[in-house]
Amino acid sequence: MSEYLLEMYDITKEFSGVKAIDGIHLQVRAGECVGLCGENGAGKSTMMKVLSAVYPFGTWTGSILWEGKPLEARSIRETEEAGIVIIHQELMMVPHLSVAENIFLGSELTNGAGFMDYEAMNARATELMKQLKMPDINVALPVLSYSGGKQQLIEIAKALNKNAKLLILDEPTSALTASETATLLELVKEFKARGMACVYISHKLDEVAEIADTVTIIRDGTHVATRPMAELDTNSIITMMVGREMKNLFPREDHDIGEVIFEARNITCWGTTNTERKVVDDVSFQLRRGEILGVAGLVGAGRTELASKLFGCWPGDHQGQIFLEGKEITVHSPADAVRQGICMVPEDRKRQGIVPLMGVGYNITMSVLGRYTKNHLIDAEAELAAIQHEILRMKIKTAHPMLPIASLSGGNQQKAVVGKMLLPEPKVLILDEPTRGIDVGAKYEIYKLIFELAKQGVAVLMISSELPEVLGISDRVLVMGEGHLRGDFPNNGLSQEQILTAAIGKADKAAA
Amino acid sequence: MTFTKKDVRNFLSSYKIIALVIVIAIIWTFFGFMTYDADLGGSQFLTARNFSNLLRQMAITGMLASAMVFVIVAGEIDLSVGSLLGFLGGVAAILDVIYHWPLFGTIAVVILLGIAMGLLVGWLTAYQGIPSFIVTLGGMLVFRGAVLGATGGITVAPVSEGMKVIGQGYIPGTMGNLIAAALFVLLVVMAFRTRAGRQKHALPVASMPTEIAKLVAIGVVILGFVLTLNSYQGVPVPVLILLVILGVFTVIGNQTVFGRRIYAVGSNMEATRLSGVNVNLVKLMVFGLMGLMCAFAGLTTTARLAAGTPSAGFGGELDAIASCFIGGTSMRGGIGSVVGALVGAVIMASLDNGMSMLGVDTFWQQIVKGIILVLAVWMDIVSSGNQRA
Repeated sequence: MSEYLLEMYDITKEFSGVKAIDGIHLQVRAGECVGLCGENGAGKSTMMKVLSAVYPFGTWTGSILWEGKPLEARSIRETEEAGIVIIHQELMMVPHLSVAENIFLGSELTNGAGFMDYEAMNARATELMKQLKMPDINVALPVLSYSGGKQQLIEIAKALNKNAKLLILDEPTSALTASETATLLELVKEFKARGMACVYISHKLDEVAEIADTVTIIRDGTHVATRPMAELDTNSIITMMVGREMKNLFPREDHDIGEVIFEARNITCWGTTNTERKVVDDVSFQLRRGEILGVAGLVGAGRTELASKLFGCWPGDHQGQIFLEGKEITVHSPADAVRQGICMVPEDRKRQGIVPLMGVGYNITMSVLGRYTKNHLIDAEAELAAIQHEILRMKIKTAHPMLPIASLSGGNQQKAVVGKMLLPEPKVLILDEPTRGIDVGAKYEIYKLIFELAKQGVAVLMISSELPEVLGISDRVLVMGEGHLRGDFPNNGLSQEQILTAAIGKADKAAA
Repeated sequence: MTFTKKDVRNFLSSYKIIALVIVIAIIWTFFGFMTYDADLGGSQFLTARNFSNLLRQMAITGMLASAMVFVIVAGEIDLSVGSLLGFLGGVAAILDVIYHWPLFGTIAVVILLGIAMGLLVGWLTAYQGIPSFIVTLGGMLVFRGAVLGATGGITVAPVSEGMKVIGQGYIPGTMGNLIAAALFVLLVVMAFRTRAGRQKHALPVASMPTEIAKLVAIGVVILGFVLTLNSYQGVPVPVLILLVILGVFTVIGNQTVFGRRIYAVGSNMEATRLSGVNVNLVKLMVFGLMGLMCAFAGLTTTARLAAGTPSAGFGGELDAIASCFIGGTSMRGGIGSVVGALVGAVIMASLDNGMSMLGVDTFWQQIVKGIILVLAVWMDIVSSGNQRA
């Protein structure tokens, strides 16, 4: 019998020729908690999807041993039967079904006649709730009657009910309050004492430090180190997470920075699912003409929420003041924002950026179509001329301007979306992950464009999860963490370690 | 050159309208053959008189379908149009028959009322966030109740002569010819201007012979259309109104900011909103337009029957929606054309008309129409190669 419960060796997974993870290994003993650490996009989630057979056996290379024997699972069902249960970052609950029904979803208990045996399910669910120290939960009530934190624990109850031997928690506390987080960590410790193993993925390194026995660190899809937690502290983890050289991928150009043009004061946003939770908590900052302000932070830090609020499209409760060129403005909708000179390139290109059934050209002119009209009719000539001008300026590679945008590559789609948001001639341009999922060439062109805009005096607010990009482009860097502004640094000899330290919240409070 | 399945599929998906026209030809040939009667000197279906009747029958559904296309393209639905048509038709009849209002007064009030009702539905949907299916399902009951209340459940007749013209009149032959000639010239000019514009910007254009062949084909269709109708009594007034609507709506759909935004909203509402477009206003206006078309259809119905009846427009929403889907409008929004919807309406009307002539029982008529609807959408999905459309 092997020393380990789970062993993963030399795992490599490619997506259309690009290696997302390359030769990573991971071992977990029974009763042990392994922290898996890495930056955004380092390959943590991919690794866990390989383990749980979201990517079935055969679509990746390497080997997995479970209790000493090879595991060749082709579906999540098989891994769950073996005792590997993953709890995803986003909760997978059916909100209108009861707590007990959710716990037994897919493995419902039935009586002899084939009907649901509610009595048995409710009894078992109540027992599980007691184990999780939540005896006051009524398992017959719908899941939506409980807060996000309780739902997370109900999800864990579901895993326990499947007799999990290995529990994978992927950013389990990103939507929890401090006290809910404490409860969760206590529970994980208790599971360990009972012999259950756990893989804990989190950006919150203090949590990892608290419960992990061993830490595996990966970076850019490769294995960096596996060490006992006792030999590590959060700073040494951060150093290993970053540890890469800055490559000169950024066409930095000098540009003048002028007076303050935009100011956000005391911005607070509340969550949409957990309405008690502040996703952005009292954030204030200024932005100058011609300045490129990078916004760094880990997933769930509240950056996108902040941008949505500034652009008038945050769906939850919010408050705070916005000033443009010294005057306070109100922004109730994106239409308000665009009219007043604030434009935003959203994070999710497919869902929020492109209108897939339309041509590239029509996508580009969407915001300012009213300009190209004569007697209320669209002047097709004028519109086409503008489209072609934009296609050239943005270097969009398309066979012709009316090709459906969905048939273009991601990079070219993104250039079209950026072009769309430049036509209104914004004074402030918000870019939310402008280079996500696009190739190096397109990235370079977008960087060049950002500098070009700064030269013209546009103030750019760029949210990015890629630290080299933030450092390579920005004049100044805001760091957010758990909804708070954790730092505001001039980009002057700033290092990735400093940013990550601030983002994770272990910074000396003087910097914040 | 051999045709593969893929070639046929490509052809049908890029020339959807041609595929639909072929379907019409098949239906007409079938009914023409079935109604052939040597004693009466030929086919009873393929006569100028029946053609005129058929077009008048489809005019009302066509008016509703013209605006319904925009509603569906915008990702919404309107189930209340049949009842609203009945209600507005009833109001027209009451103003005309009981209060003897002048025709223009009646028309103005009915049109304003139609727009107001449409805007109300749009406001509830776009600004209050109630799904349009629910709002208009409610509207369907409310408007039908209102027409029953207003007419007291009885037929209001007879309407004035002026009113009748809207539904029963004909355009004199010479005038019809002139309008047709003007239309053809306009289409030729527009085709060449579009062509020149596309060439200037290095966009692909059809070859010159293809372009000319297309225009000649259109000319032949217009000529045949007018000559056939003139050989009976001329172009019926409601058909002319429908053709004007077709023209205006096609321009709205293709050449106005509003039209472009309807398609954008239906294709990806979130991206459109984040582009700074007031998507709620777009939806509100679309429903306003739908209300306007209900007013047109209501007036035409009352004029055609020469009376306001409590059951007018019953089931009209289903015919209009079916016409849109047969005409290639996508259930999921973002795709659809007014021409397509009207061709869909012709298909529905041809089935009604032909089966009635053959004396097919009403229940069979409904079964056949239902099957044709499902079949048409199925063909659309198969031909576009998208099994989940």
